[in-house]
Amino acid sequence: MKSIRVALAGNPNVGKTSILNHLAGTNLKVGNWPGVTVEKREGKVKFWDYEINLVDLPGVYTLEPISEDEWVAYNYITQEKPDLILNIIETPNMERDLLLTVELLEYEIPLIIVLNMTDEARKLGIEVNDRWLSELLGVRVLRTNGRTGEGVKVLLPNIVEVFNLKEKPKALRYSKELEDILEKVREREDETKAELIRKLLNSEKFRELRESIKSLMGREVQDVIRDERYAKAHGLYREVVERKPLTARDITDSLDKVLLHPIFGIPIFFLLMFLLFKFSFDFSAPLMEWVEGFVNGFIAPAISEGLSLMGVGDWVQRLFAEAFIGGVGFVLTFVPLIAVIYFLLALMEFSGYLPRVAFLMDRFMHKLGLHGKSLVPLLLGFGCNVPAIVATRALETKRDKFLVMAMIPFMSCPARLVVFSFFAVLFFKNPAVIIFSLYLLGIFVAFLTALLLRKTLYGGTLYHFVMELPPYRLPTLRLLFRVVWVYVRDFLYRAGTLIFAASVFIWLLLNLPPGVKNPSESLAGQIGKAISPIFKPLGLEDWRISTSLIPAFLAREIVLSSMGTIYTAEVEKREEPFVFLEALKGQAIGFGNALKEAVINIFKPVPTAFEVEEEGSDSLRSLIAQSISPASALAFMVFLLLYTSCLGTVAVMWREAGKGFALTFLAYSLLVGWLFGFFAYRIGSMIWNT
Amino acid sequence: MNLEEVKPGQEVVILGLSGKEEVLEKVKAMGLRKGRRVSLLQKIGRNLLLKVDNSRIVISKDLARGIEVQ
Repeated sequence: MKSIRVALAGNPNVGKTSILNHLAGTNLKVGNWPGVTVEKREGKVKFWDYEINLVDLPGVYTLEPISEDEWVAYNYITQEKPDLILNIIETPNMERDLLLTVELLEYEIPLIIVLNMTDEARKLGIEVNDRWLSELLGVRVLRTNGRTGEGVKVLLPNIVEVFNLKEKPKALRYSKELEDILEKVREREDETKAELIRKLLNSEKFRELRESIKSLMGREVQDVIRDERYAKAHGLYREVVERKPLTARDITDSLDKVLLHPIFGIPIFFLLMFLLFKFSFDFSAPLMEWVEGFVNGFIAPAISEGLSLMGVGDWVQRLFAEAFIGGVGFVLTFVPLIAVIYFLLALMEFSGYLPRVAFLMDRFMHKLGLHGKSLVPLLLGFGCNVPAIVATRALETKRDKFLVMAMIPFMSCPARLVVFSFFAVLFFKNPAVIIFSLYLLGIFVAFLTALLLRKTLYGGTLYHFVMELPPYRLPTLRLLFRVVWVYVRDFLYRAGTLIFAASVFIWLLLNLPPGVKNPSESLAGQIGKAISPIFKPLGLEDWRISTSLIPAFLAREIVLSSMGTIYTAEVEKREEPFVFLEALKGQAIGFGNALKEAVINIFKPVPTAFEVEEEGSDSLRSLIAQSISPASALAFMVFLLLYTSCLGTVAVMWREAGKGFALTFLAYSLLVGWLFGFFAYRIGSMIWNT
Repeated sequence: MNLEEVKPGQEVVILGLSGKEEVLEKVKAMGLRKGRRVSLLQKIGRNLLLKVDNSRIVISKDLARGIEVQ
């Protein structure tokens, strides 16, 4: 089977990603370009006897790169040299888009022009003579509708034919003056126009030639070439496009009048964000509960039943039940939440609202030294840090990405709320005030971190704000579900492997040396005792507290159950008879109920996610109340707020920004958590212990 | 006058672009070139929302200051 490497190139927002989605279906992969934090989307399609590998290049206006994503696209075209380029053009903006087409043609790589959104163009009075365009350039010109997927399948046979016939575009002709100059640079017969231009602009050999052109034409050579390209693109446009004067009312203009209103735009944004949160939490909460029940009440007993039937040793059974179910199963419960957040985010992105948020909120964010686009990931952090960190991919510069990534973990998520409500209710008269103050402290530390980073590592001036706002479009459900599936699969696979490894490690700490009965004798207990002096200045010298933090590294709310085990030193074991079919039926009914509840939740006016429930058992309550003081409890909450005690967050940071960043940040968060915990303990002691 | 001084709703023609920033090349590639008609839709904070042909472009005021219009 032959393989064809195809690059999708085009300006930003022309619908490349939608076309790739329609072409590759669920065979789509998301990842990062090596060495940079730019998202890479790839797809593989089997067609006839060929394997077509599609790569979605970052959207660029020109092949003169400035930012990281522009360099990625440039390097791919110039160095990796794809077998074929699909040049996607957003037909309503064809004149602008043709500049990139001209630049791509300089590389003399087989190319197909894809006129996307011709229906929108027609409404704007733009008609393209594609046959004439095809003849002028010597390339195939096809029409698609990226939104619905119309015309996309025809691309595949055309790709194969162009590849087989080695159809090369006609040689691009600039003005006679420029062509003559380029011939002077030519040293070999087969040099492409792009190579000639690069030599003319950069080679030491042609310095004199450059000087003479400059004095002759009164401009830098670079500008001469740029002007020629613009002229070529403009000329092409005039040749192939017929414009009819139409005064159709544009839906985008009308919507922008409301959504980008100088006064009402911002309250509307906050309302939409509130709805996003409400929907994602209220809809996913019953489903998450169901997944938890499914894992603990069905998968776990089914596996241990199967293992004991196979006659596997007791410790293998426990490893599976506790490490696999406790670690990986726990992460699985977050899948509904992550899926719903991705769905709503994708809806916001593909509809065209997300870029507008950046424009709308930039006036506040840039005062803090951040780009307007940074706000969305930060807000998402209050929901769950993991998808929030993934959302930083939308930011353009590495500096902005790293800055925002270092802020997100301080945005308090619902997992922390579970722990806060346990301690706040137990120790304080006004738990709501304490919890609210903790949220504020998190935000404060986030901005403090950003300030520190800006003063040290990520200095420099703020990037100019330049971006395009695409027209509003309603994406199809099929497209949205595909995007969500790609992300969820990625989350399950990559995070799942790391989380399983870490769960096994922590389980071993709790269960070694072999035959250990009491948590205090285990390795974890010994480590807990060894590190307890570190926590003494926070008023947390009890080894049971420091030990409970070890399993809590998986996720913060585990701290409650691990405290339960360590304080009460009893591992409760439910022995219920397990009947496979019976249990399966129960799970199916449970799923139906959860789905029903999820839908009902959407229509409740008040978010159910903020209802504070009492956590933990009564006996644990009294045991903990006896063992620490209110000031220590406050210090403990502050520590857990700021320290990134969440394997999911560390794992996704590792993937997005690298090992060094993730581990340094983890150490930093420990330090910050300890420092603020220490202050909290000191201040608390002055207030409550006198 | 320069583009920063234009009022929302006004339509102007670009006379020239100046500035050292290489980002200017990107702005040009986005369609803000000499001779083009541009209408200013909105000003929010440090940014301007422009309509050029059928696309909507946001640029910050520091860039707009270097764009001479009429």
